[in-house]
Amino acid sequence: MSEPVASPEPTASHPDSTRTGPGRVLIAIYALFALSASARAGVQIATKFSDAPVAYLLSAFAAMVYVLATVTFAIGSPTARRIAVLSCSVELAGVLAVGTWSLADPASFPDATVWSGYGSGYGFVPLVLPVFGLLWLRRWTGRARTRRTIVPSAGDAGEAAADGHRRAGTDRMSG
Amino acid sequence: MNGAVPTTIIVAGLVLAGYALLMTALNRRMSVILLAALGVLEILLLVEVGLIVAKLAGGERPAGLATLIGYLIAMPLVPVAAAFWGLMERSRWGPAVIAVAGLVAAVLMVRLHQIWPVIHV
Repeated sequence: MSEPVASPEPTASHPDSTRTGPGRVLIAIYALFALSASARAGVQIATKFSDAPVAYLLSAFAAMVYVLATVTFAIGSPTARRIAVLSCSVELAGVLAVGTWSLADPASFPDATVWSGYGSGYGFVPLVLPVFGLLWLRRWTGRARTRRTIVPSAGDAGEAAADGHRRAGTDRMSG
Repeated sequence: MNGAVPTTIIVAGLVLAGYALLMTALNRRMSVILLAALGVLEILLLVEVGLIVAKLAGGERPAGLATLIGYLIAMPLVPVAAAFWGLMERSRWGPAVIAVAGLVAAVLMVRLHQIWPVIHV
C-alpha cells in the first residue's frame, strides 16, 4: 500500500481541484483554525466581552475569514477560488496589520487575538498559512490563461496544452 | 494528576508527524502503518479524555470550563478526521494530513495544561 507514486491520480469529477494534493493539507489546517478560532471567539464574547472588546471582535473576524477560506478551498469552483484569493489576502493583511498594531500599542490588546504578534501564539501559522494559500491558488490563474489561448488559435493550442501539462507535473512535485 | 498520558501523547504525536512527513518526502501514499499509528493516538487521546472527565466528576473545576469541555469533544475527533481526510487523498499529501494531526495532538496537550494547570504534561 505504500509503494512510491510518481504523481497523484486525478479523480474523474474534479481532475485538478483546490481540495486535492497540497490543498488537502491546507484545508485540514484551515478547518482546524476555523473551528478553534470560532469556538474561542464565541466563548470570549459570550463570557467576558467587556475585558477586551477590540481583541475579541478581531478574533471573531479572523474566525469568519478562516471559515470562508476553508469552505472556498473545499468547493474549488472558479467563483470559490476568487473568494479564496480574497479571503487569503484579507487574512495576510489582517495578520500583518494586527501584528504590527499589537506590538505598537499593547494597551489595546489586554487579551491576545489569533493575529497578535503576527500569530506568535500559534507558532506563526496564521502568518504562513495565507502565503501558502495564495501560492496554491496561483496555479489556477496560470491555468485559466492557458485554457483561453487554446480556444482562439489552433497553432498555439499544442504548445499551450504541453505547457499546461508540464505545469501540472512540476507543480504537483514542488507544491 | 499523573502526566504520563499527556507526555506519551506528545511523544507519539511528534513521532507520528515525523514518520508521516518522511513518507511525504519519499512520495508514499497512505499506509496501514500510518492508520495503525493514528489508531494508537486515538486510544491515548480517549484515555486522556477519560482521566479528565474522572477529575471533573470528582468535583474539581477549571476556570475555563466551557473551553475544557470543547477540548474534550474536539480532541478525539482529530485522528478520526485526519484518517478520513487523508484516505481520500491518493498521493503523498495523504500522509502530510496525518502529520498535521500528530502535531495538533501534541499542541493540544500543551493547551490543556494552560487551560487547567492540574493537567500536567
